[in-house]
Amino acid sequence: MQSIANKACIVGVGHTEYSKDSGRSELKLATEAIGTAIADAGLSPVDIDGITKYTMDNNDPIDIARNLGIPRLRFFGEVAYGGGGGPCGTILMAAMAVATGQAKAVVAFRAMNERSGRGTARFGQAPTDESVTGVKSYMSPYGLFSPAQMVALAARRHMHLYGTESKHFGEIAVACRHHANMNPDAMMYGRPMTIEDHQASRMIADPLHLLDCCLETDGGAAVVITTPDRARDLKHVPVHIASAGLGGGAWNHLHILKDVEAPHTESTVIADHLFGDAGITQADIDVLFVYDHFTPLVMMAIEDYGFCKRGEGKDFVGNGRLRWPDGELPLNTSGGNLSHGYMHGMQNNIEAVRQLRGTARCQVKDADFAFIAAGNAVPTSAMILRRDGA
Amino acid sequence: MSTPDVKSVLAFPYPVPEVGAEDYWQAANDERLVMQKCDACAKLRFTPAPICTHCGDDQFTWAELSGKGKIITWTVITHPIHPAAVAKVPYVVVVVELDEQPGLRMVSNLIDAEVGEDGSAPTITFYAAVSVAFEPHPSGQKLPMFRLV
Ligand SMILES: [Zn+2]
Repeated sequence: MQSIANKACIVGVGHTEYSKDSGRSELKLATEAIGTAIADAGLSPVDIDGITKYTMDNNDPIDIARNLGIPRLRFFGEVAYGGGGGPCGTILMAAMAVATGQAKAVVAFRAMNERSGRGTARFGQAPTDESVTGVKSYMSPYGLFSPAQMVALAARRHMHLYGTESKHFGEIAVACRHHANMNPDAMMYGRPMTIEDHQASRMIADPLHLLDCCLETDGGAAVVITTPDRARDLKHVPVHIASAGLGGGAWNHLHILKDVEAPHTESTVIADHLFGDAGITQADIDVLFVYDHFTPLVMMAIEDYGFCKRGEGKDFVGNGRLRWPDGELPLNTSGGNLSHGYMHGMQNNIEAVRQLRGTARCQVKDADFAFIAAGNAVPTSAMILRRDGA
Repeated sequence: MSTPDVKSVLAFPYPVPEVGAEDYWQAANDERLVMQKCDACAKLRFTPAPICTHCGDDQFTWAELSGKGKIITWTVITHPIHPAAVAKVPYVVVVVELDEQPGLRMVSNLIDAEVGEDGSAPTITFYAAVSVAFEPHPSGQKLPMFRLV
């Protein structure tokens, strides 16, 4: 079977600081992050001939090319569904471009002022439009606006069906915060959190507490993708894309109201071919990255990607399994969307690359394979990265 | 001197029917809950859609529902993120499965339920029976909402 497996690698990573107010434009953030990633690869802008972006990113590829000094773009593309399609979908698209020879080296990026609102509206706030139409007209008139409120509906259902409790969701938040406290770049560095803190945090949308919800962040993050052949001459040992995919399905008819009982989910659509293409199983994964917009959805992703059975997530996430260094499957080792910075999942890609280069702060010993899942409950994307030589 | 837009501050947004959904909202104004019933496979679908989400046929008839259903899940909103929510919290968003067809679900509000300021809602339970009620939005559009039976 033909797939993208092992036909492309990530050779450079770069990001700005993650903050509540960057004080500069989204274009500036994008050019800084991309410029840093290109330099990290040992390349210069003239070597880059492709850009992939999240559809919802406000930056125009041509503006980026002009400002960075990228003279010729032979490939540009964008991936829909925000933090679902974007984080790994932009990398899949870039990988396909270089693997087919349509481009030589492509950057995938995300840059936004989501917290300060300098260009991007805050996702946790309701728009104050007087009217709505289409799918929103069946939700907003009832005061159902934010992703957190929608996820609360799915979380309560999961709790009812499987006996999951809020404290089990809390294990995920605590693991991410644990890692952020070893990462001076993390927005929540120096702010330890316990399960008791999680339980005491204010209710955002019952049963979701504040500490079940991701940060809001200004910043930029980027990675550079090229072929294994070209990667040999570059600065770092390449990190291979062992497999990658996009997944969606008809059950998302209200876009984000997740049907917990659905026999198939966006995650299960991808899972089989992702592991098949990479030629490994879930047991081979050394370090786990799951897009942590809301802790209940992380648990559902862990279940639906087959790390445990559906309904077993509450036990799987316990006993420190997700915490470095002693846990057997550390999760989001730089702190994730919850505690590092909400760079729409791109920050997890960068940390996964560092794990497989062997340069992470919370370095998992002998890490060969990283699994990266983008946001679920919307059409999503995921990938498996492989250490060079593994 | 301009006056503040009171409606946008004090009310949640009102629905503007998309093409194909006009009859749903008009029926709500007439205090009837209707959904599209496929002429080919007789399945109901929601939200309004141009073709049957079960079989793909594009012929349908608007069918009136009993308005009876059960609570599949809910959340009590205590933290206002919309200006109109400040005066409304705590309020209850429910997902209701309608009696006519397994899996036929809609989002709405549960009204007149006992809800504490802290979000506690002792009378709301999974699969509790509910019945539709039509509540006017300040725009004049009536919205299908539900009450515990
Ligand atoms: Zn049909």
